[in-house]
Amino acid sequence: MTAAQIFAVIIFVAMFIMIVLDKIERHYVTLGSGILTLTVVFGICLRDGKAIWDTLAIKGFATKDFWYQVTESESKGINWATILFIAGMMVMVEGMAKAGFFRWLCMKIAYLVKCKTIPIFITFMIMSAVLSMFIDSITVIMFLAAVTIELAQLLKFNPVPMILAEIFCANLGGSATMCGDPPNIIVGTSLGFSFFDFLTNTGLVAGISLVVSVIFFYFVFRKEIASEHGSNIDMSKFPNPSEAITNKKDFAISSVIFGMAVILLITHATTHLTVATIGLFIAVITLFTSGKHAIELLKKVDYKTLVFFIGLFIVVGGLEETGILELIADFIEKISGGNTMLMIAIILWVSAIASAFVDNIPFAATMVPVIQSLAATSGVNLNTLAWALSIGTDIGGSATPIGASANVVGTSVAAKNGHPIGWGKYCRKLAPATIIVLAISNVYIIVRYL
Amino acid sequence: MSQFIISVGREFGSAGRAIAEELAKRFNIPIYDRHLITEIAEKTGLTPEEVEKYNEAPKLKILSRRVNGYSNSIEDNIAEMQFEFLDEKAKSGESFVVVGRCAETKLRKYPALISLFILGDMEEKIKRVMKIYELSEEDAKSFIAKKDKKRKRYHNYHCSGHWGDSRLYDLSINSSRLGIDKTIDILEQYINSRINK
Repeated sequence: MTAAQIFAVIIFVAMFIMIVLDKIERHYVTLGSGILTLTVVFGICLRDGKAIWDTLAIKGFATKDFWYQVTESESKGINWATILFIAGMMVMVEGMAKAGFFRWLCMKIAYLVKCKTIPIFITFMIMSAVLSMFIDSITVIMFLAAVTIELAQLLKFNPVPMILAEIFCANLGGSATMCGDPPNIIVGTSLGFSFFDFLTNTGLVAGISLVVSVIFFYFVFRKEIASEHGSNIDMSKFPNPSEAITNKKDFAISSVIFGMAVILLITHATTHLTVATIGLFIAVITLFTSGKHAIELLKKVDYKTLVFFIGLFIVVGGLEETGILELIADFIEKISGGNTMLMIAIILWVSAIASAFVDNIPFAATMVPVIQSLAATSGVNLNTLAWALSIGTDIGGSATPIGASANVVGTSVAAKNGHPIGWGKYCRKLAPATIIVLAISNVYIIVRYL
Repeated sequence: MSQFIISVGREFGSAGRAIAEELAKRFNIPIYDRHLITEIAEKTGLTPEEVEKYNEAPKLKILSRRVNGYSNSIEDNIAEMQFEFLDEKAKSGESFVVVGRCAETKLRKYPALISLFILGDMEEKIKRVMKIYELSEEDAKSFIAKKDKKRKRYHNYHCSGHWGDSRLYDLSINSSRLGIDKTIDILEQYINSRINK
């Protein structure tokens, strides 16, 4: 191994350990690691100024492809399209939350099913999956879990099973689209996939898995969530959904913007607008329509996550430039003995197991160049490997309370309201569900692509 | 000073809690220590035993993760609920005594805060722990070490300063030097001087 490779690995491993230890905020960890990669790996070891510029990828902003892309292309270094898109969606979601959109939607659905626990349980699972297809799962679970607890207090049922099922379905829904989960945005923008590519590949298996999951959770939890009220529910005692709307005009505007975002994402393969353009457009229009509240919305954007992404991409760029990721790809090819089925199973299950314990974003960012290299050397279709990676990282995160952001937020909201969810309680129900969905996905990939 | 908040950090076996209880009595103000557990239990619907299990306990880092201020760790959530509870009490203008809970840091923004740290000589602490918990000298020593390690980890995880570092507190005092009663007298005098300043 060369000095550059050794330092790239040390920085990467140290970064991962620091993220797990949680002593220093993770965005400082990745940014510091990124700066070290630029100076030590690229500057001192490689003495390669071009590699620094390639990794920073700033010139990408000036290219037409960054904003309007007719042919698929792959990106390298800092994935600015991912960052711009996530930032844009953050602004939009803040606008929607401020107008009371999410609370209204949850209350409205509870009302439509006449506040009966089993129908709420089923519709909330589906809503969690559908919303997570377009909005980050943290926001979805933050609102869903809070409303679930509120309804549980009113209807006297145990909210824990419902929150667990919502968390699982949020991660499942996120796997269905390019913008549903950060690993998918990274995979999609790095390999030049469209929203529709994801919907027709990972989306299809997510749909099948959602049906199976709803049935699974129904049988597992039906006794636990039975309401003390039974079917005698006095609807007049419940808050009116419209009370959730803080401002009718803002509510209407944010609903229209959300609709526009969905349409732009669904049609982006036809319009050739990149996710970066869509993110920027949605952010600008949200800020423009929010008038004097624009600054407030901008302040609420989670800049720490954006900085986390920037640092992360640089560190992964270090591994990529020094050829470490090729070594990993060679290793996977070697242990699979060239067997495509085994190679896919390794990508799917190793991604899932890793994502159950470590942040799936750095994992996905690291694995994208690995599967590129693997596809080039082994001849296995890159798309098939990409779907296995996306499903593995997105679904695997559901298995443990620390596997994905939605899990952390959901269990935290539950704990703060008197329903602590420990590892045992969480894993007993969601780990089997995760294994079932991964098994379905494995069969799906083999049947459809091999 | 119409409002005053007395925070008492303490080494295990230094009689910190007994001193805090006596100060609360002398100043006729409520004390939040075990009472916090009951309050949190009532607020959340948890049993006091459940809250106690996670009270002032450091989390296992490898099994926990934090996202945008949310944490899956029950220990973290119980700690945050206690910090919020204390903050609300402080904000309301109430005077009280609080034992532990990183109060010297979490309530630092309130001018009413008088922060104390009680330490003790190991021999004295061992004697006290042997008597209260009916332990052998060896067991008392390891019990003290275990409890202090837990408190230190809890404190240092939730605060930037180090547990027991005199720079964090207005006054650090060794209760073994003058004995518990005289230590309380001195602390009472100090608190009165601060209140009447």
